[in-house]
Amino acid sequence: MTSVRPVAVVGGATTKFGVRQATWSELVQEAGARLFAAIPNLAASDVDSLFVGAAEPERFAFQSHVAPLAAELLGLEPHRIVQRTELACASGQSAIRSAYAAIAAGLADVAVALGVEKMNLPSMAEANTSMACVMDRPWDGAHGATAPPFFAMVAQRHMLEYGTTEDQLAAVSEKNHRFANSNPEAQFHEKSFSREKLLRLPLIAPPLRLGDCSSMTDGAAAVLLVSGELARKYTDTPAWIRGSGQHASWHNLANAGSLTDWTGMRIAAREALGSAGITASQLDFAELHDCFTISEIVEYEALGLCKPGEGGAYVTDGRSDLGGDVVVNPRGGLLGCGHPLGATGVAQAVEVYRQFAHTVPPARQVPDPEWALVHNLSGSANVHSMMVYARGG
Amino acid sequence: MPALAVTKRRAKKAPRAVSETAAPKIEVPTERTAEAPKKPTTLTLLDFFPQEESQQTRVSRFFTELRAGRFMTTRCPKDKKLLWPPRVTCPQCHAEELDWVELPQRGHLYAFSALLAGAPLGMEADLPITVGLVDLEGVPLRLFGRLVGAPWNEIRVGQRVRVEPFDLADGRVFYRFHVEG
Repeated sequence: MTSVRPVAVVGGATTKFGVRQATWSELVQEAGARLFAAIPNLAASDVDSLFVGAAEPERFAFQSHVAPLAAELLGLEPHRIVQRTELACASGQSAIRSAYAAIAAGLADVAVALGVEKMNLPSMAEANTSMACVMDRPWDGAHGATAPPFFAMVAQRHMLEYGTTEDQLAAVSEKNHRFANSNPEAQFHEKSFSREKLLRLPLIAPPLRLGDCSSMTDGAAAVLLVSGELARKYTDTPAWIRGSGQHASWHNLANAGSLTDWTGMRIAAREALGSAGITASQLDFAELHDCFTISEIVEYEALGLCKPGEGGAYVTDGRSDLGGDVVVNPRGGLLGCGHPLGATGVAQAVEVYRQFAHTVPPARQVPDPEWALVHNLSGSANVHSMMVYARGG
Repeated sequence: MPALAVTKRRAKKAPRAVSETAAPKIEVPTERTAEAPKKPTTLTLLDFFPQEESQQTRVSRFFTELRAGRFMTTRCPKDKKLLWPPRVTCPQCHAEELDWVELPQRGHLYAFSALLAGAPLGMEADLPITVGLVDLEGVPLRLFGRLVGAPWNEIRVGQRVRVEPFDLADGRVFYRFHVEG
């Protein structure tokens, strides 16, 4: 990894996330306009490559071949690499990873990574159908395997094996919704999202309640990645990509590893942190994939922030909050911001850039952060994707 | 979406044969008469269930055996690895000739939950959709599947279940797990 060129994220923007009165391509247009507004020195002609993270445009928007559509909408004429990246819930990070790889290898210099998903349709049953084909559709999806019951089984096993409680799950949701209150782009702004209130919400997939689940969300986000020598042209506060790791080994649930010890995430973390030359305890904050409350708890453990079984106490003891060990999901997480599949990973990178630049509201600003990690799981946590960022200097 | 609706498997059902008398008589070119008549199909875009006909898949034996009450999968003759779902190559040694073996039909629940809201198309009437992971007895397989026979709030981890074949409305066959008292 020593021969790769330095790569930095030099700016980014997101649309408002939520149930948007806007189409797929309108969301792309919004994200593009905001990207150019956020980076005044960026000219469309600078951009040599475009990566579009989109999980299921064929199903949600009945549109294939979306990378050239996004290029047209942003006024770009990429002449090095133009492509879509698909990795379900990690499609957005996949766009960033691909742009990073291209620039690091010298095959691109200035790349836009844009993530987008339009999930709220006139028929939500149709949207639920599309979510079920993320799993091994004929053998798992056919039984009715969507994400909530799978992560509910993770929660059930974690409760059985370690005594994790519903109150500890709710503490994750309470923290992330509190952070989301200071993020105007988040889907949810619940001023009084107390644990007690969360525990009274209806069950979606027992033991998971409505407040334990991220939502079906419309949104788009975009970042600009450039090779190291170009970074200062666009920003004084580049976020340098220092580490990367990813792991996949199975897809059908019969071939899954442990529900409660995500070994694939441990491997991805070893790669990502190892390539950055740091340990998990050196992170100042982490954007972890809290598609469900139980996910964040298992992720504390798999990232090595605490021992197996201690994830529940890690959140209730405040160790993942401001003033704790490693601030987790200051953006508001998927729970507070919503989870437009392709946009999430890019929006997390936007948060990293903004945290390093100290441009987020004080209620969620991590004090003087130097190291950050972004994690996405996809599917049934069978893939883990991770990147490590360092503040410019 | 009637094609996705599930029906209870009828007891002692005669082997399902493609009816040649029920279908209206249509003149077809001679060279095409060797082909089996096509069953009604659901749009692939909205069809959860596996294609089971031999024209569509190389593991159609799984479905013919399931219809006859046997729960089968493939096993690699070289490294003896039991493969799920049925495969046509071994992912471990990449052998292309696999054996069919019969699986036990009993197991116990490792984990379960139920989807109480947000059903996919064709499964709305199934809510709550109870699902679980089942450790099959005596083999290293933990299969995911729909659970029937008891409401989700009366099921326990460790409870015994058995494989239950059932017919889809369009004549295909699939399996689920029946929770035993």
